[in-house]
This record gives sequence, C-alpha cells and structure tokens, in this order.
Amino acid sequence: MAVNWLRNLASRRSVPVFPVLGVQGDKALRHLTLSPDIELVDSPRHASVLLVAGEIPADRFEPLRRVHDQLPSPFTTLWFRCEPWPHLESVIRVDDLDVLPAALVTAYRELMKGRRESSPRILPDKPPNPWEGEGDFGQGGEGMMGGVPYGRPMAMNMEDDIRDGLTLDSLTFRLGPFFFAFPPGMAAEITLQGDLVQTWKTQLVAYPQSLDPVFFTARERPVPIAELELARARHHLHRLYRGLHLAGLESASLSALRLAQNLSTTSTLDGLHRYLSRSGFFRLAAIKGGVLGPEQARRIGGPAARAAGLDEDLRSDDAGYRRLGFSPVSQAGGDTGARWRQVLAEIDQSLQLARQAERDDMTTSEVDRIETPRGPWLEKRPEDASALLDEILPGQEWGDALATIASLDVAAVAEASLDTQTASEPRITNTLDSEGGRT
Amino acid sequence: MIVEELVLPVLMVFFMLAAGAYTVAVLDRVIAGALGTPQAGSVWIVPLARGAWLMTQHANATEAPDWRAWRLAPALYLSLAAIGLAVVPWSGSLVATDLATSVVLWGSVEALATVVIFLHGWSANALFALIGGYRYVALGLSYILISMFVLIGVALPAESLQFTQVVASQGELWNLIRQPLGLPLFLIVGLGMTFWGPLNLADSADLAGGTAAEISGPPRLVWDVARAAMLVAFSGVATSAFLGGWLGPWLPGPLWVVIKMLAVLLVLLLLGRLLPRLAPERCVTLMWVVLLPLSFIDLVWAGVGALL
Amino acid sequence: MALTTLFVILISSLGAGILMQWLPMRHQPRPAWSQRAPFLGGGTPDSHAWSRYHIRYYPMTLLLIAFEMEMMFMYPWAVVFVEKGMKAMMEMGMFLAILSVGIVYAWREGVFKWQ
Repeated sequence: MAVNWLRNLASRRSVPVFPVLGVQGDKALRHLTLSPDIELVDSPRHASVLLVAGEIPADRFEPLRRVHDQLPSPFTTLWFRCEPWPHLESVIRVDDLDVLPAALVTAYRELMKGRRESSPRILPDKPPNPWEGEGDFGQGGEGMMGGVPYGRPMAMNMEDDIRDGLTLDSLTFRLGPFFFAFPPGMAAEITLQGDLVQTWKTQLVAYPQSLDPVFFTARERPVPIAELELARARHHLHRLYRGLHLAGLESASLSALRLAQNLSTTSTLDGLHRYLSRSGFFRLAAIKGGVLGPEQARRIGGPAARAAGLDEDLRSDDAGYRRLGFSPVSQAGGDTGARWRQVLAEIDQSLQLARQAERDDMTTSEVDRIETPRGPWLEKRPEDASALLDEILPGQEWGDALATIASLDVAAVAEASLDTQTASEPRITNTLDSEGGRT
Repeated sequence: MIVEELVLPVLMVFFMLAAGAYTVAVLDRVIAGALGTPQAGSVWIVPLARGAWLMTQHANATEAPDWRAWRLAPALYLSLAAIGLAVVPWSGSLVATDLATSVVLWGSVEALATVVIFLHGWSANALFALIGGYRYVALGLSYILISMFVLIGVALPAESLQFTQVVASQGELWNLIRQPLGLPLFLIVGLGMTFWGPLNLADSADLAGGTAAEISGPPRLVWDVARAAMLVAFSGVATSAFLGGWLGPWLPGPLWVVIKMLAVLLVLLLLGRLLPRLAPERCVTLMWVVLLPLSFIDLVWAGVGALL
Repeated sequence: MALTTLFVILISSLGAGILMQWLPMRHQPRPAWSQRAPFLGGGTPDSHAWSRYHIRYYPMTLLLIAFEMEMMFMYPWAVVFVEKGMKAMMEMGMFLAILSVGIVYAWREGVFKWQ
C-alpha cells in the first residue's frame, strides 16, 4: 500500500527519458528538449523510459542491447520511427513527432501505476568473463596481475604518459554510439591515463547528417539567398544548442534552440551573444585545446577551417552573394573557442545576409558549387572527418576533448533521399510575406 | 536536561535537513523555470514526486564495487551536512551545538567532504564515477584554504572561533561591508564544496553524471538530499559569518536567519544556473593564483580593521 | 555536553542516511549482471576502473600541506589577535609572505596545470 501511494506520487513528475539516437533521431531530441513533461537524462541509470529515436543500423544492435539492460527496474521502452525488436513484449511504436511527448507520458504513468510491466532484460545474467572457481575472488592464473576478478581483468600499464612520461595504468574502453556528448552514432576506442586521452580510435563513424532540402535544391537551380542563409543559421544554432548544453549553460542552449525554431529574418543573435560573453563562456569554459593545423583544417573545411584562419568560402564565388557584399569571416587560432566564435559570427552573418537578400530579392547564381554549413560541396558531398579526431584528441584532458568534439562538425552529409520523410519539425515562417510586419 | 540538550538539537537538525533540502529543490525549480527551462506540474509537488520516484526505483549495482563505502558515502555526506547545520546559530541562545571552536569544526567538515565525495566516486568501480571523484579532489583541496582564510578573517574582530560570538561582533556593521571580499569568496567556496553549477566537476554533464552516473534509487535520493542540505548548511554559515545572523530590527532573530539564508541560497542557485562549467585546469589555476591571494588580502584587511 | 550532542547528531544522521537506503532496498532483488555493466554509451570496458590513476595535481597537494600547517597556527592566532595588536599582525604577515613565495614558485613551475 505504501508502495502504491509512493508510485502514484512518483507518476506526477516529468518523465525521465534516456534517448538512444538512431539515424535522424536528433529531430526527436530537439522536440523533446522543449517539451515540459519530459526530462532528458544523460545516464540510463537516471531514467525510467528508454526512447529509441530513429532507425538503428544493425551494427549498433549490441550496444543498444547493453544500454537497454542498464536501465534499473522498473523501466519501459518506446520506439520512435524505428522497427521495434520483435522479441520484446508490449512495445509501443510512435511515428508522429507531435504525439511523442504524450506517448512517453502515458507509458511512464502506466509503468508507475502498475498497469504496464517493467521490460525484461535482453542479455543473459552472466558476468562478462567466467571467474568462479579460480581464487576466492577470481584472482590467480596468468601474469603478475592475473585472472579476471569479478569477471574483468585489472588495468595494466601500457605506455608512458603523453604529457610527462610517467608510466601508470591506462584504462582502455569503447565509448559507444549512444553517448550523448558524441555526434549521434559515433563510437570510439579510447585509452585514458588519469583523465588525459592517450589514444583515440574512431570505430563507428557518426550517422550522416541531413541538411535542409534547400541545399539540395540549390544544386539544381538558383534559390532565394534568404532561405538558404536561414537554413544555414538554423543548422549552426542546432550545433550551438548541443555545445552549450555540454558546457553547462542550460538556459543559453534552450534559447538557441528556440531561436532556431522561430528563425526568421527579424531574429537576432545579440541577446544570446551578450549573455555568452558575460557569463564567461569564452574565458572560463573548456575552450582551449583542439587546435587544428592548416592541413587538418583544409581536410574538414567549412566553419572549422575558417576558424583556423583559412579564408575560403564558396559563397564568395557566387555573383548573388558578391552583390550583397559578402566576405568570409574567419578567426585565428583554430581552437575550440575560435570555432564557437566562428559559429556565432557565421550565424550573425547569415541573418544579416538573409535580411538584405529578402529586401533585394536575391537568388544564388552558381549551381555546382555550394557552401553547406558542414563544408564546401563541389563534386562530392562533404565527407566524414572522424579520422581528424584520432589525430587531435590524444593529449587533451577529458572535458577539453569532449568540448572539441562538440565544436567540430565531423559527420558526413547524407543524401537528399534520407530527408524526404515527413519533416514535422517547425519550419521557418514564409519570409516573403513579412514585409513591414514583425514576426 | 537530557531532552533540552540532546533531543531538541537532534530534532532541530533533522528538521533543518528535511526543510532545507525541500527548499533548495523548490527554489531551484523556480529559478530554472524563470530562466526558460520548460516545466510542468506544481512547483511544490514535483520535488516530492521526484523523491518518491527515487524511492521506488531499484538501486543500481556495478560489477565489483566497494559495497560498504558506496552505500555509506551518501549517508556520510548527509551527516557532514547535519554537523554543518548543527553549528548555525538561530539566535543568541538557539543553537544546536554551541561549540567554542565552531569555525574549526566547519573547516573539518569541508575537509572531510572531499574524502566523502571522492569515496563516492571511487567505490563505484566504474569509469565515469572514478574520473569524477579524482577530478573533484583537485578542486576540493584548493578551496579549503580560501574558505579558512576568509573565516579566520571573520573571527578576528570577534576574538573568538564561536559562531555566536562572530554574529554578536557584527552588531554595528555586518562583515559583508566590513570585509567586502569575504562573502564573494565564500560563495565561490560554497559552489565548490557542493560541486554545484560552474564548479560541478564531480557530477558533471561531460561525465554522464560523474560520481552519480552509476547510482539510482534510494542511494541517489540520499546523495541529492545530502548535496542540497550541504548547500543549506553552507548558506547558514555564510549568514552567520557575513550577514549578521539573527541581528536585525522588528522581526524575531530566527526569522531573520531564515530570510538571509534564503537570500544566499537564491544567489547560489542563480549562479549555479547562469555560469558555464569551468575547465578543471583553469579552475585549479584560478583558485590558487587569483582567489588565494585575494583571501590573503581579505585577511590583512580584516586584521587592520580589527585593530582600528 | 555540546560535543556529546554533536556526536549524537553525527550518529543519528548517519543512521538516517543508511536507513533511508536500506529500508526501500530490502526487498529489491540483486541486479542482473547485464545491468551492472558500467555505462559507456553502449560500449565495453577492457578492465576494472580501479587502477593506478595518474593524479596530475600531486605537486599542488604538497603546497596545500604547507598551507594547512599555517592554517592550524592561525586558529589560535585569530583568537588572541586583537589583544596582541600589531605584533601579531607582523608575525602572521611574515609567515604568509614566505608561503606566498611558494605559490609563485609553484605557478612558475606549472604546478597548477595538468602536467
């Protein structure tokens, strides 16, 4: 009886959801961030509902099984735009983004009130390595620190430390595709000594990201520059949202997301920019480190290259942009702070260009050279740049390494066919009829 | 005699623990809502609902933790918060424990908090928790000194290490004005000790929750309550040391203490939400190279002020 | 007497913390091994997390010990300060100045960075 009363009380809180992102799952993530009934958590231990958002490719099934089993009872799962696994019982599948928050709330309340059973575990209840029968605690066997006590070996020292040459123990592990600070779908094998990254090897690259369809249309025929620039600003704002969330500035990340949702030519970045400068984001947060050399900057292209001092932007080849007085913005330094400054400067520039282009009704003139927010698109779409991470992350402290990853856009650009699905994310209001009116 | 001296203080401290933790949860929710976090539900019920949810969730286990230390650590942090609350004076005579050396006791609470938080991270035997624990120790060792110099500066005009005397010495002028560097430094220390907001290196977002990444259920409830209670204890000490404790016109003493504690809590929670998380290296450098010399200056100022 | 009260407060709050964990957990089953794996976003670790962890701030802790000893002397000093007047101020000033030289040296040696 006491348990029932407690559970009834527990059903009145916002739903703690651990999101597992599949292909194109970040749309759901952004929608849920702004939903008042949902609390997105970073660790499965803090959640009661596992949300699988977007199609999960087959090579990430085993990590998904692991994460699924790591939620503590009672828990349940919900599948969004993904085929649920047939051997799970009573699974819910939702395909409509607007219905998703309500479906999560219903699932959670039913779970708490006992009308829904907690999901069973998928993986077998066995330790990772058999260890019963050796020493009392599994020790003994080969080597100096032999055996697998409680199922895993103890850490052994491998190499000298990168910074000071001390040889202590390194911890090697695979950080999986469902870690929130990584681009969706990326997995890496990392060796840490203390909290400094010694080696970094990308094992699964991030899912190709989908760009706004206007970029693909711009490859076929001239498009209004205002629309193109607003799409670019929105892409950068979505990246800013992730980066600020990692840095601990929740309110700033939410206002960046809201700005992206209601983006129009009358939007302005000044408030957000002022708040970021005053809060010390450019001085206190983890913004040093992750410096890109000129060769690496050329490989990744786009805003990251311009933040490293390379002044190349395909928009300067376009007659329409030149008439608007476009010139590429760049920073010196190439570290994480420079990249965030570059992103903010590019958002500002895009908004200004969009305002001007809308007034003068300009369109692009080149169709085979497009500057996407991810990088330049000449003959081939921008490719995945995860190999860059393997080069620049070793030697950085953990927080700096994650901040570097957040500031770099390494995912490749997906084909147009992937985003002809119902994009039910709120789009920009029609820019052409906001003459004289404020949005 | 036994009832007054033993039972009443214990009840007082327990009440402060419960009411304080609840107040912090409600205030934090209000501030988050004001800053734009989308929220639903009554601001009074939702913290209780979260507590109930944590009570009904199963406690997590890792593969090979140090069970005793892992389950003890949240309870130890809670008792450290209780001890901190026990020395906060509510009026000249209403103190749970009126030690002659309360400042020293508070210093030991801070030092032991470092041990407890490290223990919480280390005993889980999981990667993120371990890194969170070790990262916290760098921060924890740095701010202990700042806090102690600032508190000794406050003890100088009072000629005593007793918090009731410290408050009594602020009869003419609060230490907030007499030693202007003191309260800002102490607030920073407060954020550090409860690893809140910008100094949240132990349970930080880039470690998926850090020392709290592997806990769920009742142990997580005790840990969160202990953190909130420590924040309350902290604001209680800040009130006594800098804001004149129970001193003030018209209203009764304890009510003044409550008002001032709420004000300090508000400032701490706001700072927690408005500032980005510091990088660990920058944090340590900042503490030793900027804040520690500032606390020396504060001490010298306090000394000169006490002699004049 | 105050110390006894303090001790009672310590023991009772510790007991309350432990009880708050133990009472709901009495009837919960021990979690399965698949739940106990550490959270690594779906990945696996190679070994237990306990290891000889590289503490990069070790030199800073040595500096801390020096200052802790100074702090111990400052506690009684604070109580008699006003009586003794300027002499006490001078003495502590000298103590602080000497230790500050230690901070400057440590800073120049890069002790406060992760090296």
